[in-house]
Amino acid sequence: MNYPVWFVPTFGGGLLIALVAIIHVFVSHFAVGGGFYLVMAERKAIKEKSQAIMDFVKKHTKFFMLLTMVFGGLTGVAIWFVISLIHPAATSLLIHTFVFGWAAEWVFFLVEIVALFVYFYTFGKMDDRTHQTIGWIYFGAAWMSLFLINGIIDFMLTPGSWISNNDFWSGFFNPTFWPSLFFRSFMSFMLAGCYGFLTATFLEDEATRHRMVRYSGTWALVSLILSVPAGWWYLSVLPSPAAKLVSGASPTIKRAVMTGGFSLAVLAGVLIALILLNPKARIRCLIVAVMLSAMGYMGAFEWTREAARRPYVINEVMYSNGILKKDVERINQDGFLKNAKWVQNKEVTETNQLEAGRELFLHQCFACHSLGGFNNDIVSRTQNMSFGAMRKYLATIHEKRYFMPPFVGTDTELKALAAYLTAGLHKKPLTDDAGATGDRGKVLYEENCAACHSADSIKPKMKGWDLAKVRASLDKLPALNPAMPDYTAPSADKDAMAGYLFKLNNPGAAPAVKDQGASLYEENCAACHSMDQIKPKMTGWTRDKIRAALDKLSALNSAMPDYTGTPAEKDAMADYMAQQTGGAK
Amino acid sequence: MNPATLIPIADTLTAPNGWFQFFLMLTFPLHLFAMNAMLGAGLVAFISHLYPGRAYRELSHELAKALPFLVAFTVNLGVAPLLFVNVIYGHLLYSSTVLMGLFWLAVIPLLIIAYYLAYIYDFSFQKLGNLAMFVLLAVLVLLLTVGFIFSNNMSMMISPASWSRWFTTPGGTLLNLADPTLLPRYLHIITGSLAVGGLFTALYATTVLKSDQEVSEAGRKLGMQLFSWLTLLQFGVGSWFLLTLPKQTMLRFMGGGSIATALLAVGVVLAVATLITGFKRLVLPTVWLTLPLVYVMSFMRDVVRGNFLAPYFNPTTVPVQVQWSPLLFFLATLVLGIGVIVWMLSRLQIFKKAS
Repeated sequence: MNYPVWFVPTFGGGLLIALVAIIHVFVSHFAVGGGFYLVMAERKAIKEKSQAIMDFVKKHTKFFMLLTMVFGGLTGVAIWFVISLIHPAATSLLIHTFVFGWAAEWVFFLVEIVALFVYFYTFGKMDDRTHQTIGWIYFGAAWMSLFLINGIIDFMLTPGSWISNNDFWSGFFNPTFWPSLFFRSFMSFMLAGCYGFLTATFLEDEATRHRMVRYSGTWALVSLILSVPAGWWYLSVLPSPAAKLVSGASPTIKRAVMTGGFSLAVLAGVLIALILLNPKARIRCLIVAVMLSAMGYMGAFEWTREAARRPYVINEVMYSNGILKKDVERINQDGFLKNAKWVQNKEVTETNQLEAGRELFLHQCFACHSLGGFNNDIVSRTQNMSFGAMRKYLATIHEKRYFMPPFVGTDTELKALAAYLTAGLHKKPLTDDAGATGDRGKVLYEENCAACHSADSIKPKMKGWDLAKVRASLDKLPALNPAMPDYTAPSADKDAMAGYLFKLNNPGAAPAVKDQGASLYEENCAACHSMDQIKPKMTGWTRDKIRAALDKLSALNSAMPDYTGTPAEKDAMADYMAQQTGGAK
Repeated sequence: MNPATLIPIADTLTAPNGWFQFFLMLTFPLHLFAMNAMLGAGLVAFISHLYPGRAYRELSHELAKALPFLVAFTVNLGVAPLLFVNVIYGHLLYSSTVLMGLFWLAVIPLLIIAYYLAYIYDFSFQKLGNLAMFVLLAVLVLLLTVGFIFSNNMSMMISPASWSRWFTTPGGTLLNLADPTLLPRYLHIITGSLAVGGLFTALYATTVLKSDQEVSEAGRKLGMQLFSWLTLLQFGVGSWFLLTLPKQTMLRFMGGGSIATALLAVGVVLAVATLITGFKRLVLPTVWLTLPLVYVMSFMRDVVRGNFLAPYFNPTTVPVQVQWSPLLFFLATLVLGIGVIVWMLSRLQIFKKAS
């Protein structure tokens, strides 16, 4: 709200960040591990007095120079460019908080490129000892870059005590700093080993090839084995909402974790096999599989880390849309539009509702939702919801689905956003009381479920289910699919929804309201009189008479309290009672 | 719409503003030196292709070898000042960045292509033959385009009056073309860069390449000619830039503001002096005069920025919550880093002397 939004409707910025970040993550870790690998391999060449290995190392150095310095360096700058474009508020916070961390990282970057240039251009022209020292400086500077960036990236997921004290070091040495540092270090050694593994197979001289394949393979395997406990340690220190997200509450994370696990298994298996088979190991497709698995393993970790901080961009500090958590209460009072800089509608009026709603969408939702585009398309996600359902959904969106930020603003603003998302995007009617009339089960379904799956899409999944099974499933949604949150509504609501869902596959079945009416009766009346007790008193009553009586219970009997249910609930209860007493409709 | 209402709230600083100003003013000219050397080396190498003879061909080849280094250092030395600009003016910079998002992102692929082409030019110089010239031309065009994109962002960031265009064009496709200062600003910095780059080439030719008398002399001649003529041209371009500035800002340089006027006066004196030494092809004296000149020019640039922003933003009003230890950590890292770099380069010298 503080900044303008880069608005390309079909193209959410998240995708762009992911793309650039993935490239940079691989290349940069590769650079760090590569520094270590080069120095150690050079040492091996010196010790074994092998010119063939030395040539191999020199060739690698050139590749590292071209890949990591050009591509790694520039994609690093690219991430900075992209995030300042997509998340200007978060970028500003990270830059301001850690400016001297970034500045120190710049110094190490400078040392790194000078060292790499000197290292590459002095191969064979410098005494071994000095050349090795330069190599160590290259690795040290690259690893220090990782050390510094690691602190800032982990801060985004676990800001720790920085939230209360705003202290640079508290934010930097945050709860996930050390496990993540170890994990990333091993990961970078593993990537470099895998690459050495691949390139070693191209060596012509058979003896050298065997030696380097075995050397690189062992290198990768040891790093891989060491990375597993580090990854475990990392998961164990995650804060509980993030841990919950990681342990399977989100389908995307689940997929990422599975990819990671699978890659890990393939990687370890192929590595061991290749090291054992080593003398004959010029099986490049297997080694390509190793490279891909290594990237899958690493990618799964990064993906999980990114996803685990949702709905925040900086956990517990700033939501993905740039709104600070601490500002939420104030903005809810004052209004979002009044506080926002880049909006034309400073308040919602009768005439500008849709336009104001659009601006609210732009500043609160567009950070993650594209408009008819690839990622998290808002159009398809809102098509099943009515205006009323949308309003109820937005009001508790963060409570219902933790990974979405809360709507921030006044009720009028919420209404404007709901209007834009329904009337604006889908030309749906803006009937205010949609929540109060009609099929209650349907309304509840729209409010609670339709955001993720339409009735049409859920219908085939419940084919052949009886009502009891549908009803029982509503008590254990996460067991059906870990991505689904629990539906924590009174059992009467669940009954109503079960009735509605059951009817989808069984249109001729008894009206679902019966069940709702029964539970409403149980909740509100049965404590004093069972149905059997009052049946005789209503002999011959029509359904309408029963319905009318529900409006004036205290008049029938002064001991009875008035029933304060909604008209729809009274309808349901009247239907039920009429059915029980055999009264006509 | 009042442009001031669009300006985002600036985040809290973690050190007094002066420190960031100091680091910005210290590191930005370093970026300029590297960037100028890069552009100048590229241009001189290109011109050398047009001359016949072994010396010019060798000169192109030698400069080709230097080009990838210069790109690497231009990028690296650009990171530091951009970081400090982010700290002092981030809220303005991010706003204009969003407005021109598409172009701003294009900087990265353009640079990557230019960088790899520079390496191709270097590693395949012999193989490329006459094609080398066109590879180099592509590098130059790409780099000059990147410069133009930067000029747009740096000028749009200080002109909030142009920002409300976002409401009708939010796709990141805006540039600052309507700003009368944009073109002279860009030409001013490019002319200066190519001039200083020519000087760098002359310096490079007379030091690193001095073992080959002919090549060294060719580099000195081309470099110093480029420097002198472009500096002469700069008097025209610079005056044009000055005249397109808003009247109040312009007048500050004409006696209205003591610091601004003094900077301009010192700048002009230094420039005239470099013209004399330049046309006499005295490399080292010109270098010693140009080093402070680049600093003076970047201070003047800062004065212009301050004047543009005066109605909208006063850096001293940004809240400050000082924490000294990270600053000390950075300074220690800087000293250590420079020490290590000097040590590595000294090993290089030893190797050179030994051979």
